[in-house]
Amino acid sequence: MKKILLIYFLSFNAISELTLEITQGTEDPYRVAIIKFSGADKATADIQKVVFDNLLRTGEFTIFNNEDLLSIPQIEEDIVFNDFRILDIDFLVMGKVEDDGLNIAVEYQVFDISKAKKIRTSTVYGIPNKNRQLAHYVSDGIYQEITGIPGIASTKLLYVTEDNDFKLLISDADGSNEQVLLESTEPIISPSWSPDSKKVAYVSFETGIAKVYIQDIASGNRQVAVENSSQISSPAWSPDGKFLSLTMYQDGNAEIYILNLKNKNLTRLTNHYAIDTESTWSPKGSKIMFTSGRSGSPQLYELDLKKFNSRPKRITFDGNYNAKGSYLPNNEGIVFVHRADTNFQIALKYFNENFVRPLTNAQMDESPSISPNGNVIVYAIKDDGMGLLSGVTLSGAKFRLPASKGAVREPAWSGYLR
Amino acid sequence: MFFLRNKSNFIVVVFFLASCSSMNVTEEKVYSGDVKTVKASSTKSSNINYDSMAVFANATVYFEFDKSNLTSKSIQTLKSAVNALNENSSIMITLSGHADERGTREYNLALGQRRAEAVSDYFVLNGISPDRITVKSYGEERPIEFGQDEKSYSKNRRVEIN
Repeated sequence: MKKILLIYFLSFNAISELTLEITQGTEDPYRVAIIKFSGADKATADIQKVVFDNLLRTGEFTIFNNEDLLSIPQIEEDIVFNDFRILDIDFLVMGKVEDDGLNIAVEYQVFDISKAKKIRTSTVYGIPNKNRQLAHYVSDGIYQEITGIPGIASTKLLYVTEDNDFKLLISDADGSNEQVLLESTEPIISPSWSPDSKKVAYVSFETGIAKVYIQDIASGNRQVAVENSSQISSPAWSPDGKFLSLTMYQDGNAEIYILNLKNKNLTRLTNHYAIDTESTWSPKGSKIMFTSGRSGSPQLYELDLKKFNSRPKRITFDGNYNAKGSYLPNNEGIVFVHRADTNFQIALKYFNENFVRPLTNAQMDESPSISPNGNVIVYAIKDDGMGLLSGVTLSGAKFRLPASKGAVREPAWSGYLR
Repeated sequence: MFFLRNKSNFIVVVFFLASCSSMNVTEEKVYSGDVKTVKASSTKSSNINYDSMAVFANATVYFEFDKSNLTSKSIQTLKSAVNALNENSSIMITLSGHADERGTREYNLALGQRRAEAVSDYFVLNGISPDRITVKSYGEERPIEFGQDEKSYSKNRRVEIN
């Protein structure tokens, strides 16, 4: 396959929603032909466009449309595999949209060109007014069939904006379909998803001090995580959803505790005069990583929850600022904020390597959050003083989710919703 | 007999290959992700005492990057604040710690708290009752200067005494 560096610039017409552009793709993309989906109405074209954009945004595909092809099969029996082999195409996707005015469904098929064989046939049933989500399911199925990895187009992002007031928002992974979870005149920080992606936890200053709240997305019901008079922040859910790790300030200093969400018992994890905060759980929930200033500068430490009285083990040594870590879902490494010289970057460190891999190179990148399939990291940037969201894939593709209104910050990626 | 066994092995292999390369067939239904919007009612009590506002209108102390220790200039400011507190024993004060925008938000929230605690410790060491002091942090969430330069950053790394 040819090595081509692809450069795409796309943007949606989505006023007051995040928009999207892809600035750089991977070097060795899958070459995929997507035949224009059959189905007469406008919904067909809209769904196909979303599928197309989702696949492009991964940076892992070169997409061929009807215009780029030598033959355009309408049914399986019409496929001339050689016409696709000549163009070095790896996969062919055909689909049809069935819309009876009430219910809409997409049926699609994926063919492996080299084997001249159908490898997938799928049907996705939509619900009214959720055609984008329907299209996300289709592209996730295509993505998974071709790459072997679950797609993330149907996942959600949670983030904070500051304009005239503060908002906690939820959107599709492509930045569209933005919806408000919380509006407040006081700051909101540190949004975090429950593992089933049905609830969120965050810090709100609405009472005058930082407090952690838990909110049910569908019902809007919310409650304070811990009732006391001191400042509480940095919530992170355990992978089983039974515990919330928190930073509590009741001793005057930031210390990490675990809250049992059922009986509300608190267990103290750290005890040090330096700052301990930004706790996060390992994928299996056996370890907690956190940021501590105990060495004289912020560094990442790990605590083994299975060992009684285990001591925090320092895990970052390069540079004088390493903070806000998260584990890769396969537990092969961590992603965190790393200061190189004076710049704050997003960096990756694999556990089996003894060096840090910078993933970004701007001046003030922060708040990295990893997609559930481990392939993409969304993070906050400052562009000319304005907060925006960006994404980078582990394979090297970069994209941007610019805001048209307000400063955007602190993205958090949901789990799988399919 | 030998021939038959051979043949059955062959059949198993063919079946295995066929199942390996079998086509994926899936059916799924889109999940309805309903969202309810909530408006936070700001119950933020106006606990700023206007007597103390008059006394401490400009009482702000500043810090170095990632530091919470008091500078000699800060101590000058705090000395006069201690005198004012001694003269007006009814005054309650709130110490609000802040950080500049560099570094992570949660670490900066903790850093703002440490700065406010450092000021609180100074007051307590100088005879002010801890009951008169409320300590809190806004981290990097309430900057007063918006530039991305050391001049703005140095103004934002502060504790406000109200």
